[in-house]
Amino acid sequence: MFTSLFQRLAVSPAIGVASRTLAAVFGGYALAACATTALALWLPAAPATAVITANLLSFLIYTLAVLWAFATRSAVRAWVGVLAPALLLAALAGLGGAGNPF
Amino acid sequence: MAWLHTWSGLLLGWLLLAMFVTGTSAYFREEISLWMAPELHHSQPSPDTPALAWAALNARAPDAKRWDIHLPEARSPVAELRWQPDTPATEEGGRRRGERAVMDAGTGELLEPRASRGGDFLYRFHFELHGVPRLWARWLVCVATMFMLVAIISGVITHKKIFKDFFTFRPGKGQRSWLDSHNATAVLALPFHFMITYSGLLIFMVMLMPWGMNAAYEDGWRGFFQDVFPREEAPAEGGAAATMVDIAPLVARTRATFDQPVRRISVDWPNRDNAVIRVSTDKAPHITDQRRGGNPTLVFNGGNGELLETRPGDAAVPRAFRVYNLLVNLHLARFADPTVRWLFFLFGVGGTAMVATGMLLWVSKRTQQLRGKAPGFSLRLVNGLNMASLTGLFAAMAAYFAANRILPVELAARESWEIRVFFLTWLLALGHALLRPDRRGWIEQLATISVLWAALPVVNMTTTDSHLFSAAGWRHGALAGFDLVCLMLAGAWGYALWRVARKAPVPARKPGARPARRAAPARAAEDGA
Amino acid sequence: MTVITVTLPLTLAYAGLTALALAMKRHHEAALGAKPPPARLRAFRIGGWVLIALMVASCLRLWPTGLALSMALGLITLAGLPLVFLLPYRPRLMVWLAPILPVLAVIATLILT
Repeated sequence: MFTSLFQRLAVSPAIGVASRTLAAVFGGYALAACATTALALWLPAAPATAVITANLLSFLIYTLAVLWAFATRSAVRAWVGVLAPALLLAALAGLGGAGNPF
Repeated sequence: MAWLHTWSGLLLGWLLLAMFVTGTSAYFREEISLWMAPELHHSQPSPDTPALAWAALNARAPDAKRWDIHLPEARSPVAELRWQPDTPATEEGGRRRGERAVMDAGTGELLEPRASRGGDFLYRFHFELHGVPRLWARWLVCVATMFMLVAIISGVITHKKIFKDFFTFRPGKGQRSWLDSHNATAVLALPFHFMITYSGLLIFMVMLMPWGMNAAYEDGWRGFFQDVFPREEAPAEGGAAATMVDIAPLVARTRATFDQPVRRISVDWPNRDNAVIRVSTDKAPHITDQRRGGNPTLVFNGGNGELLETRPGDAAVPRAFRVYNLLVNLHLARFADPTVRWLFFLFGVGGTAMVATGMLLWVSKRTQQLRGKAPGFSLRLVNGLNMASLTGLFAAMAAYFAANRILPVELAARESWEIRVFFLTWLLALGHALLRPDRRGWIEQLATISVLWAALPVVNMTTTDSHLFSAAGWRHGALAGFDLVCLMLAGAWGYALWRVARKAPVPARKPGARPARRAAPARAAEDGA
Repeated sequence: MTVITVTLPLTLAYAGLTALALAMKRHHEAALGAKPPPARLRAFRIGGWVLIALMVASCLRLWPTGLALSMALGLITLAGLPLVFLLPYRPRLMVWLAPILPVLAVIATLILT
């Protein structure tokens, strides 16, 4: 009985939309933030130029992440598609010398 | 994807509408501010203005820490004098508190314009709202901007026949016409909409995405800005008292050196022996220029007028910065001459029309789906909010401008009262809209704003002497222009009213369904110069 | 930059967009009569793009690159607006304006600048 409730929730469209929305809004932002940091550190240019190039691209990345979250086949894919690159970029940023961002 | 477009557009559409309307008006904020300060209308720039400003500051603030003079220019016929008193602890988290005065450019008299936020109220509302803690407001505005960016891109993806339907507009067909209007204003002006949205986010990039700066610089955004705009620090202590040279020869020399009109004079430690005078001119505008600084400047020793330094202007800007500057300057319409400024204004109107037609389309579509049944709560709510954020907002703006003329000049807290009138009117309109979210409500509100906007030039005529029928009103383009735009707007609302009222209310259950309006982008035009 | 300066790119854009509109069967029928042969549609399409290219070139001549491209995009938009509204109401007028307006703009530019 408990399992079936969980299963029903898991496939309910409202949960799917909510999940995708969270992936889009927060996951997307995380992805954009990690990308910005990685780009700012790794782009082969003066620091100021690298920072601004990264910032120029950041909102595009965010928007694409949002679109991905809603266009892709399932909510799970939405999360994976957003968080996996984010983690990758965070690792890259860490390698580039990023400390605690806060 | 269509779902995403509809909801990302609708949920914050009312806020976006307000942002578009106030943002469009902000292209002419200096002109609006001038209109709202009739005491300044008689100022006329003259070659003596710098000397008069110099004398005024010497009389008013001879031992200030710093003087700043903005000389008159095309958009502002007065001289603005600013100074920082020499008191300790004037810094407050990076913002220095200074004092300012406005001077008649022809006579040197210090003017006392009526207390009013002028066009700046609308400009600030555009990105900071009002009465909301600044950071929260900016975040909300940026969230709305992100929603809009998502709406734009999802709209393009959704619109499968985007090229086939590029020129399609079918008037007089209810929902179909609203859709066509929305498509036309959205697709045709897509470059503008994308630019204005993306650049809006870029303007707040330090707040929204500081992570790159934090990673690349030790002290985050401060380090970044110090790197890009190295700031020269004035000497911390004023020297002994000393006389300063006259300003007129320095102005003449600067003007001759750069062959541009002198725009700004700033002095560190006036009337001391370590006074430094900087005289800057306009720069030949390049759309990829930095927002601040970079003007051709001559730096003089204040005591003997000796030339210390010549700064010809901006050095070459790295490519990435040029892109950033280009986008931001486009958003703000910097370096726009009057023609281009009007073009931007028109685009802003188009953007407003795009958002408005989208919201009206939503109502129209749901209404049609009802097939004559009474509308439910959510439909009435959306319709009411549409009204409040469109006609209601324009009623509030008309009231704001009227209050500027009608409220007594000596009224205490006059600035706040003008703003209160704005919000009270808006609130009234909201209340009315929510009570009558149907065709009758639209008719009533359209009628009200037609009258209000037509009344503005009349109110102007009875309370000042710079109006459409006086010489003073035509001396500066902004003044007559403002009144004329009011009349045009009134005409537009009248036309809309006529179209709505004309359609026979056969099914009394078709609330909010208005026949397609012609020239939707020409609607909702704003005041200006 | 005066109003006169923008008239040439603006009118060229209008002409180009009109040609592109006429390259679509539906709009061609509405404006010029039924059954356009595919060759004519193609001619309109090519002509339309040529005019747009000319318009962009004229912008590049008038302004530095960054500004020119921005103005080009902006003016194409502006030129499209009257087109969209003329097409359903006065299609023949829309067509006639396409050649007339650029000519007037050239004359105005030559005389007044």
